[in-house]
Formats: sequence, C-alpha cells, structure tokens
Amino acid sequence: MRPAQLCLTALSSILAVTTVPALAGPVMDDIKANDSLICLVSPTAPGFSVPDSTGVFQGFNADFCRMAAAAVLGDADKADIRGVGFSDSMKTIVAGEAHMGSRSITRTGTRDADEGMAFVVTTFFDGQGFMVPNSLGVSSAAELDGASVCAEDGSTTLLNIADWFGAQGMTYRVENIADKTARLEAFFSGKCDVYASDVTALTADRQLSENPADYVILPEVISNEPLTLVARPDQAFEAALFWGFQVMLNADSHGITSANIDEVMADLDNQPPAVQRMFGADSATTDMAAKLGLVDDWAYQIVKQVGSYGEVFDRHLGVDTPFGLDRAETPNAHAANGGLMYPYPIR
Amino acid sequence: MIPPNPPPEARSDILRQWAGTPVTALVSLVSAAVAISVTWALVDWAVISAVSPTRPIEECAGASGACWRFYLEKSRFMLFGTYPYAEHWRPALVSLLLLALSALVGLRITGRLRWLRPRMLLALWAGVIPMAFVLMGGGWTGLLAVDMSRWNGMPVLLILSVIAIALAFPLGVALAVLRHQTRRPVLRRAALVYIEGMRGIPMVTVLFVGVFVLPLTLPPDTRISPVMATLIALVFFHASYFAEDVRGGLQSLPVSQQEAAFSLGLSRGKTMRLVLLPQALSRSLPALVNSVIGAYKDTSLVVVLGIHDLTSTARMAFSEPGWGQFALEAYAFVGAWFLLSCAFLSWVGRELHRNQGARRR
Repeated sequence: MRPAQLCLTALSSILAVTTVPALAGPVMDDIKANDSLICLVSPTAPGFSVPDSTGVFQGFNADFCRMAAAAVLGDADKADIRGVGFSDSMKTIVAGEAHMGSRSITRTGTRDADEGMAFVVTTFFDGQGFMVPNSLGVSSAAELDGASVCAEDGSTTLLNIADWFGAQGMTYRVENIADKTARLEAFFSGKCDVYASDVTALTADRQLSENPADYVILPEVISNEPLTLVARPDQAFEAALFWGFQVMLNADSHGITSANIDEVMADLDNQPPAVQRMFGADSATTDMAAKLGLVDDWAYQIVKQVGSYGEVFDRHLGVDTPFGLDRAETPNAHAANGGLMYPYPIR
Repeated sequence: MIPPNPPPEARSDILRQWAGTPVTALVSLVSAAVAISVTWALVDWAVISAVSPTRPIEECAGASGACWRFYLEKSRFMLFGTYPYAEHWRPALVSLLLLALSALVGLRITGRLRWLRPRMLLALWAGVIPMAFVLMGGGWTGLLAVDMSRWNGMPVLLILSVIAIALAFPLGVALAVLRHQTRRPVLRRAALVYIEGMRGIPMVTVLFVGVFVLPLTLPPDTRISPVMATLIALVFFHASYFAEDVRGGLQSLPVSQQEAAFSLGLSRGKTMRLVLLPQALSRSLPALVNSVIGAYKDTSLVVVLGIHDLTSTARMAFSEPGWGQFALEAYAFVGAWFLLSCAFLSWVGRELHRNQGARRR
C-alpha cells in the first residue's frame, strides 16, 4: 500500500469510527469501504434483469439492487449489478464475494436453514403454472393427462409437477432440457405439449416466441414461489434491505412515486403523519439511519432514485410493457386491494 | 540461345466446362440458381428491404429486412456485454491485440512476413497474454477493477480460444516429445495415458470438471472464477489434441535424421530441439491448423457454464424487453464473425497445403 493510500485508509477508518455506530456489521462495513454494493442477478430474465444497450442490468429484480445502494450509499448507481448463473450466485454469496442477490430465488425451508445466506424479504409472490399452444385445445390443466412436459432439470419445478400430476392421478412425460433457450425452442417447435415454469417466467418467455398470441397460460397455479432477496448475513444490512422494501410499499400506500416525491417533500407539513415519519428531517427514518448506518435521507433517496413498489412493478412488468401483467390480478397487489404486499409501519 | 516460349495453351471453353454434357449442364443450372437466389435473399435482407440506421427504431417493426438501427444500438453490447461502458476501450484493445497477434502467426506460418523471427513472436505472446488479463481486470494505477463476471462477448471469446490455444500449444509439444521418446518409459506411459484419456472424454465433460470439480480441489477460502477455470480446462483439453498432431509429425521423420544428428555428436536434447522438432512441427502444421479450427469453434460451448461469450451476449441483446424481434440480426452478427474468422483460419490451412505441395515438387 502506498503512503498516500495508507493515510487515506487511516483517515477514513478514523472517520468511520466516529461516524458509523457500532451496530453496523461486517457486510455493511464492506459495502461502505468499497463504496459499491455487489448485487447478483440472473443474466437473462426479460423484465426481471437483462442488460440494456450500455451493458447495465435493468428490470424488476435489478431495481432492488438499486434500492439497497440508494439506502446504504445514497446513490442507486453505486450498485454493482452482476449477472451470474443460479448455482454460482449462491456460491458467490456464501463465499463472501457478493453482498446480496436479487434473482427470483424461492425461499424454502432448507435453503433458509443454510448458513452463509439470509433470506430477507419477498419482493414477488409467484407460483408455478403451465403454458400450452392454442392448437392443443386445452383450457385447464386437468386436461393434460398423458402430456409431455418441458421443464428445467434439477429445479423445484419438476418436483411440483410430480406432486401435482400424482395428486390428480394423471400420467405425464418429462422432456429434460437443461438449457433454457433450447428448452423454449423445443416447446415452440412442438417437441413437448406443455411448458412448465413460474407464471411470471411463462409470461416473459411467451414474448420470446414468434407469435405470442399462439400460446396460452393455463389458469391453474400449482405451487407457492415466494421470490425473495438474499443477503450475506449481517443484521444491519438485512434490516436495511427489509425496511428499504417497506419504504417502497409505504410509498405505494400513499401514492408517492419518484415523479411526485419532490412535491411531497416541499409540502411535508401538510402530509399525513405516516408520510412525515418516513421523509421528515427528524423522523423515524433518520433515527433508523443513525442506528443502521444508512444515509440520513435514505427513504427519500429510495423513492426518488428507484420509486415505489407499484411504480417499479409497472415500469418493468406492468400492462404497458410487453409482459402486460396487471398487478391487481396477481398476489403482488397491495394488501388494501386484497394482495399480499402488506406495508409494515415505519415509526 | 534460349528458345522462345511456346504460345500459351488455348483458353478452355467455359461453355464446354459448364455445360459439356446434359448432366453438367443440369448441375451448373441448379447450382447457379441456388447461388443467385441465396445472394438475392441476402441482398434483399441486408439492403433492399432493410431499414437504414438513420431511421427510428419503430420503423423496423414491419420491415422484412435487416434493422440496421439494431446494430447501431446493440453492437457495443454484443461485443463487450456488461463490461463498464466507459471502460470499453480496454476490452477493445485486448481484442485487437489478440486478433492482430493471431493474424501475425497465421501469416507467418503461411510463409509471409519472413522478417518476423519465431523468437519475436514468442516474446509477443509472452507479453500480450499477461497484459490481456491485467488490462481487463484493472485495479491498478487508477484503472477501475472489473470483476470477471463482467468479462463478456468478444474478449472472453478470444481469451478462451486464442489464449487457450496459445497456452495449450507448448504443453502439447512437450507431451508429444514425452510420448515419442523411449529413454524414460514412465514419462512416456504417463503422457500416453494423459493424451488418450483426454481425447476419450467429451469437451463438455472436461469443462464441467473444470468449473465444478476444480474449485473443490482448491483451499476452502479461495474461489476461482468460471472464466479462469474454463481457461485451465480448455488448455489441458486442447493440449492432448495438439500433442497427437505433433507426434504424427515426429513419427513421419525418417529415422536417419536422428542418426545423422547423433553422428554429428549432438545430445538427445539438442537433436530433438534443433533437428527433429523443427521438421516435425512444419510437417504437422496442416493437422494443427485443423485442430485449431475445431478448438476455436468449440469455444461457444462455454455458454453452458454461464460464461457470456459472443453468442451469449448476442442472445442477451435481443432478450431485452421490446427487442425480441431482432434475434435474426443478432445471430447474423455472430454468424458473420465466425464466418470471417473461420474463413481466415481455413485460408491459412489451404496456403499451408499449397506450400507443402510446392516444397515437395
């Protein structure tokens, strides 16, 4: 280490001692020391995480990486979002080479029991479904007796199919194709009758066919897939992720988005108390910031730079996108509208 | 007195060559028709029905031809993937260096650029290979450190093909010499087992072993990135094929070469280095080029390991919502690249055959 660097490190460590409270854990410290938050996403998941023309990942999942960076570092662009395959991303987090993962991982009991990885908060409630071509003339999964199913090898998908077909007393045949593109190609070319995956993945994958209108997603949803953010275990960092997400949900409750947050801030005194507690200068969130080691106005930064939950959903998956998901019809609707997205109180 | 040259032979009659008998006429007609229709389809796609890059992207929706705006928008992504945008000069420079060096080697072994001594080439390789990694990785003198998961597209394709081949070659030669010599039977057997074992395993298996088993053999707190693990696996895999090519060259030499070298008082090592290997290598060049073409084309298999080479970044380019209709453009880009690079490699191969034919005459 060169002398100048040494001085800088010493200086910053002194500053850190005086400004960062003792509660901040090792992951939090690491993020701040590098001034960058390493977040793993799936390399090609249209709508959830896919690189744009400049090679920066965009999508629903990628935005939760930005949320974390906005909360911890005050700048959403400081999220170092990397596209890594499924099994490798788990290994990378456990090995301590990434801070978090936002890549549609289903939270299951055995996965949660593993050390080295903490499931924090469910960002998307999904379930497994079936896609069939219109030409098959099937309108319900109960008519799929004897069908050949294309599904991913080694995933929970195959287990769910086995459970479900077994319970219905129906037979089926599995076409195991590991590579997703090859599997989709096999389905589109008619090699298998049914394509099974999470419903949202089906919606995205249908867009990859030449004529999406030729395919229909059957109404049956046969499993629960809570897609959850994972973090390297660190109490402060996990709290930052959890409450960052709650800020996005609470903003949703009050109709606050990145577009109107500045108006809300300018007129904060006339806002409901819950909003004041979220964005005020001396409020519940500033108190949390001091204890967790976040930037003081982290709640504002999240909404300003990333948006509310509904905004992020509609931007990447909503009715105006090629996926055309109507949030109100999914379990991801706000709790007030009968969904599962239940904002926790920030106070 | 030198007698005057005889007049050149009459030019062959094109009409007779192409349509001398009914069968040749038919074959010519069919192949001409196919050639014309393919060319026409290509011109129609790339020019006539295409949408020029100056038009907005929305106009591409209804067009049946190429959307050049797509290339304008996505070329850099397809070449360099998720490498930080502002730092693209680094992968570009690395790609250019590796391509230039490969071209130099190709031209040199076909008998051009005689001034370029093999020693100089060797020094260039020794400099460029570490430089490629240092430049891509960064993290020194203010260069942004870039994680290997962001090494995508062209540079990673070239690292896993050009560098893997360059590193496998010396290993292959060493293995060939070990298998050819008779003084050390243990080493000879070991080389034999290694070469035959590697050649008996499919490349995908070797890649999976490299990425999933190799990390298990390392100390617990070290992690090897998939790119490095793949590179190591590829080097060991290609080396066995190169070894067999070179051994073929060694075995084709008449035994008198070795005897002559011994009778001049050369040691075994010097005999191999100065007499046998140079001849064996030049004899095995065509076979080596053949192996290189195979190795180069197989590189795209690394997609199964989650490494994003050119084929994979092209796929990502049209995975972005709203860009799904440009799959053909993206794959055409990859196809054109592999066509060009493989055309160069097979040109080198053809030149070598011609030179060798000429030498024998």
